[in-house]
Amino acid sequence: MNSNFSDIAVILPELLLAVMGMALLIWGAFRGNRDFHVITLTAAALMFAAAAVAIVSPTGGGFNNLFVNDAFSRFCKVVIFGAGGVSALMAVTFSSDTFRRFEMPVLMIYAATGLSIMVSAQDLMTVYLGIELSSLSAYVLAAMRRDNLRASEAGLKYFILGALSSVILLYGMSLVYGYTGGTSFEAVAAGIGGDASFGLIIGLVFLIAGLAFKISAAPFHMWTPDVYQGAPTPITAFLATASKMGAFALVIRVMMEPFADITAEWRQIVILLAIVSMVWGSLAAMWQTNIKRMMAYSSIGHMGFALVGVAAGSEAGVTGCLVYLATYVVMNLGAFALILSMKRAGRPVESITDLAGLSRNRLPMALALLVVFFSMAGIPPLAGFFGKFLVFTAAVEAGFWWLAVIGLVTSVLSAFYYIRIIKIAFFDEPTDDGEFDAADVSLRAVYGLSAVFLLLFIAFVRFVVDWASASASVFA
Amino acid sequence: MFDFLIEKAIVFLPLIAAIITGFADKRLGDRNAQLLTSGTMVLAALLSVWLFVQVGLNHKDAYVVPLFTWFASGDFAASWALRIDTLTAVMLVVVTVVSSIVHIYSAGYMADDKSIPRFQAYLSLFTFAMLMLVTADNLIQLFFGWEGVGLSSYLLIGFWYHKPSANAAAMKAFIVNRVGDFGFALGIFGAFLLTGSVAFSGETGVLEIARHVDADNPLPGILGMSFDTSIIVVTALLFMGAMGKSAQFLLHTWLPDAMEGPTPVSALIHAATMVTAGVFMVARLSPLFELAPLVLDFVTVIGALTAIFAATVGLTQFDIKRVIAYSTCSQLGYMFFAAGVGAYDAAVFHLMTHAFFKALLFLGAGSVIHAMHHEQDMRKMGGIWRKVPVTYAYMWIGSLALAGIGIPFLFGPAGFGFAGFYSKDAILEAAHAAHTLTGNFAFWAGITAAFLTAFYSGRLIFLTFHGETRADKHTFDHAHESPLVMVGPLVILAIGAVLAGGVAYPWFMEGGHHGYGDAGKHMKQATDGATFWAGSVVKDHDLIDKMHASAAWVKILPLVMAVSGLGLSAIFYLLMPNVPKQIAKTFAPIDIFFRRKWFFDEIYDFLFVRPIQSFGRFLWKAGDGSIIDRFGPNGVAGASQLLARFFSSMQTGYIYHYGFVMVAGLVAIITLFLFGSGFAGQLLSGGN
Amino acid sequence: MAITLEHYLVVGALLLTIGLFGILLNRRNVIIILMSVELMLLSVNVNLIAFSTELGDLTGQIFALLILTVAAAEAAIGLAILVVFFRNRGNIEIEDINSMKG
Repeated sequence: MNSNFSDIAVILPELLLAVMGMALLIWGAFRGNRDFHVITLTAAALMFAAAAVAIVSPTGGGFNNLFVNDAFSRFCKVVIFGAGGVSALMAVTFSSDTFRRFEMPVLMIYAATGLSIMVSAQDLMTVYLGIELSSLSAYVLAAMRRDNLRASEAGLKYFILGALSSVILLYGMSLVYGYTGGTSFEAVAAGIGGDASFGLIIGLVFLIAGLAFKISAAPFHMWTPDVYQGAPTPITAFLATASKMGAFALVIRVMMEPFADITAEWRQIVILLAIVSMVWGSLAAMWQTNIKRMMAYSSIGHMGFALVGVAAGSEAGVTGCLVYLATYVVMNLGAFALILSMKRAGRPVESITDLAGLSRNRLPMALALLVVFFSMAGIPPLAGFFGKFLVFTAAVEAGFWWLAVIGLVTSVLSAFYYIRIIKIAFFDEPTDDGEFDAADVSLRAVYGLSAVFLLLFIAFVRFVVDWASASASVFA
Repeated sequence: MFDFLIEKAIVFLPLIAAIITGFADKRLGDRNAQLLTSGTMVLAALLSVWLFVQVGLNHKDAYVVPLFTWFASGDFAASWALRIDTLTAVMLVVVTVVSSIVHIYSAGYMADDKSIPRFQAYLSLFTFAMLMLVTADNLIQLFFGWEGVGLSSYLLIGFWYHKPSANAAAMKAFIVNRVGDFGFALGIFGAFLLTGSVAFSGETGVLEIARHVDADNPLPGILGMSFDTSIIVVTALLFMGAMGKSAQFLLHTWLPDAMEGPTPVSALIHAATMVTAGVFMVARLSPLFELAPLVLDFVTVIGALTAIFAATVGLTQFDIKRVIAYSTCSQLGYMFFAAGVGAYDAAVFHLMTHAFFKALLFLGAGSVIHAMHHEQDMRKMGGIWRKVPVTYAYMWIGSLALAGIGIPFLFGPAGFGFAGFYSKDAILEAAHAAHTLTGNFAFWAGITAAFLTAFYSGRLIFLTFHGETRADKHTFDHAHESPLVMVGPLVILAIGAVLAGGVAYPWFMEGGHHGYGDAGKHMKQATDGATFWAGSVVKDHDLIDKMHASAAWVKILPLVMAVSGLGLSAIFYLLMPNVPKQIAKTFAPIDIFFRRKWFFDEIYDFLFVRPIQSFGRFLWKAGDGSIIDRFGPNGVAGASQLLARFFSSMQTGYIYHYGFVMVAGLVAIITLFLFGSGFAGQLLSGGN
Repeated sequence: MAITLEHYLVVGALLLTIGLFGILLNRRNVIIILMSVELMLLSVNVNLIAFSTELGDLTGQIFALLILTVAAAEAAIGLAILVVFFRNRGNIEIEDINSMKG
């Protein structure tokens, strides 16, 4: 048990965030909420810095093989920290006129740190600690608005169900430990030895169920709509982007590393989750009236599509997943920036019908919305199309053409509610409530850049796919 | 990127102009739009002439300018490329020259229109599509141009979209063309199956493969047919496309209606682009067509029928543009039967001369219409030649060229005359020299049509310009010569209509084993490599020999027919204006038969339009409404709505329900593993 | 009767099930849910330590200690959120935690 400098090197981004998070906390404790803006901006800057560090940080294992920094975790960390930074930026404007709590950016930093530890985990204990670090921060974040009933209800529901899922996950881990004789991924893989005992299978089911909660795959998704709706919107954005990316990366790593030898077994579970998520997400979103709630079902559906790539169980599948998740994160950041821009007379509105007549009042915003939601619907040549295309192709190559068919059908169904939003924004008569307030420049930058990214994705799709497949090659 | 800049410029300048003008629209301004599109077009025309001199006259070898790979899938590869050979160079000159004149002319003709930039953009787009078509190096790019031409013709014919008749005509053109295009697409599939390639150039290209096929080494047939049958099917399908695009008998109905578009459009469609595409395609694929003599016979018969049919209808029309439209139809018939008897060179030659005089006629007619305040009915014209002397002269030149007036054997065996004289004579000689049943039929049909052509050309001139005026006083008094921007550019066309035949005859009709004429002599021993055509179309040297040896009466007869046709029309419409009416009354059934265009519209209406409409209505009401909609979209929508409600109601908001769903899911998955050997388990663990 | 691994596992499973039912059937008080969660965490610890002894491997015990630590933090946060909720709602009846649904 001797740590040395190389151990420190592989956790550089996490270390940066953890230490600086403490510093921010102390700063906030002395200066109080007066410095909220500065602290939040600093937090955003820190996360972007961490993303940059993640790109250049040296690869390799550390801490007696509890932790690894490889191409895969680098890719995921860049996305996680990027999404976290953008969410923090959005928090700046969101909080200015409703409430200010300097703990919010600090907790976002710690949640991101937890996610980052998850994607680098090489041991079930690391997995658990990473998950708890991010989850505990997330519970508090969801309930951040202490004076708001919905926010505290969201926090409570998230906490109780999250605790339940943690227990399920842990129970699974305990069985996996018992039937393989170790907690490190290496030991687990060695313990499986290509043959799955019944106890191990039960453990695997519990483990996947616990992870499925984190990516809100149906039927373990029940918390998602309520939490999305109740939590402050920047936090919802964080949960929908960074959190999903981290948890999904963990799913990929756990499936592809320790359990690679029993792919046939876990694949059945993943396929089930994928189908239920795609169907449930697409159908339940159709008649939602609250746009944040609709986004929750939308992300459930998206997780189902991405799981199709995991089900393929191949490098191509993982590549597809990574591309899918990266574009998903950008789409969601854009969508939540748009939702945050929905304000009338300083008060946020969240009803989908509030978008009516947007194209006449705020054309640039309406155009961004058009691009973002068309991309969500997976319409070529926008970015959302490529992720879907890659995961479905991977599934077909793995022989699961019928899964791809279900995916196609449900993505057509889901196109209904995405395009319904566009229809409302472009063709419905504006309501009498008047137009939205002018959005803050940072929000405009976020949804504008996101729309541009989604539009021009086709130009650099090759680059992203190459990067993702280089990351996926970790599991070769 | 910057090599072959000239070739790329010719093709893409019009596209760039179209994009800029089309998207900038009103912001660009009318004058700028005209300057931009016309300027680029003229530049393209000048470059085309240069290219023609290089390739056609200086015998530069044919070459291909690669742009980029379009798509490649297995054996199938298609790329964007510009194929430059003599055939392409000829077409480039024809298309760009006529198009630039039409562009400039439009500035005057459309001066009062509200959407000039849109019009200019469409014209340029049309030209671009045609240029893509003629420079295609594979069947797919050809098809791209083919469809692009179809699209732009739809846009242009329906340019005055507020006129219901214009919309109907645009749709008719599009739909009738679809019938042909359907065959053409199938033909392309067939050609690919047969030869394993869609490319033109190269050893493995369609053309090269076709050149090396004969009875001794045939290709394997397709779809279980023998090679002979396969090639017949493929070329017949390809020709079907040509029939649609070039408005041949049976698929000609769209062309006269297309006169609903502005007159410059008619000139562009009928003289240089679109309708010539079919002839071009047959000439381009001549090695393939040569393998199917039966189809060539069919081509000959269809061409001959079209020539005579359209001419008879042309006799009776009173709309000045429709007369010229039917004459186009008829002249295209000439080109096709020339191709059918193997004289592809003569077909393209006539295509070229025809482009000049037909554009001249159309634009002249446009000038008349402009002068008469958009009156197109010849019954309301007459006696205006003093008011529009320049137009009058142009119309005479165009008509004489169309009628093929010239003097045989003057200044050499080819004779001397207007442009149409050379090309029409070459075609008729070829038909006669073919010595086949269909060739003879075509020859006599062509002779008859020559008479009719001359007659209706004369009729058009005399009705429009001579005699007592039948226009109302106001219109007549205000009739005026068109502005310089309209009549100026026509000089080029007029020169072309006079000289193009004589100048180009030695180039186009060279060859044969013995050489012919002063100009042809020095090429006596020339091989394919150093001749004008350089193998870009099939040349039947025996046929050319026979043509050169054809009897004197074969050369004289067309002229006799033309002169007598003109003379008769002069008598009828100049000296005895009552006689035509009398004749029409006496032979009323025939007159009506011709005037109603052989009842083609009515027959098609009865045979296709009505049954399809009622069938469509049946499918709509019974099939779509009560079966598909009920169980399909509406059913699915209803079902998904129900399911959506169900899933929504699952979300009760109670923590213990949420927890229950999670635990139930967990239990369900474990159950699946315990008892999961059934169908679902098999399915889920399936795959590779 | 010797107490074997199976016995421990059964105890663990029973504790888990009791905890689960505590969450699913309890309709009154959130505090009981928190207790149920603690109970289930203990079931995991029983499992881990039983396996650890069986395998002669210390990892399981380390894991159990980690779980205990995290569980303490979790309970603290859970109670804090519960207090916040109580301030807004005025009670902690589970039936009343459903302002968002559908």
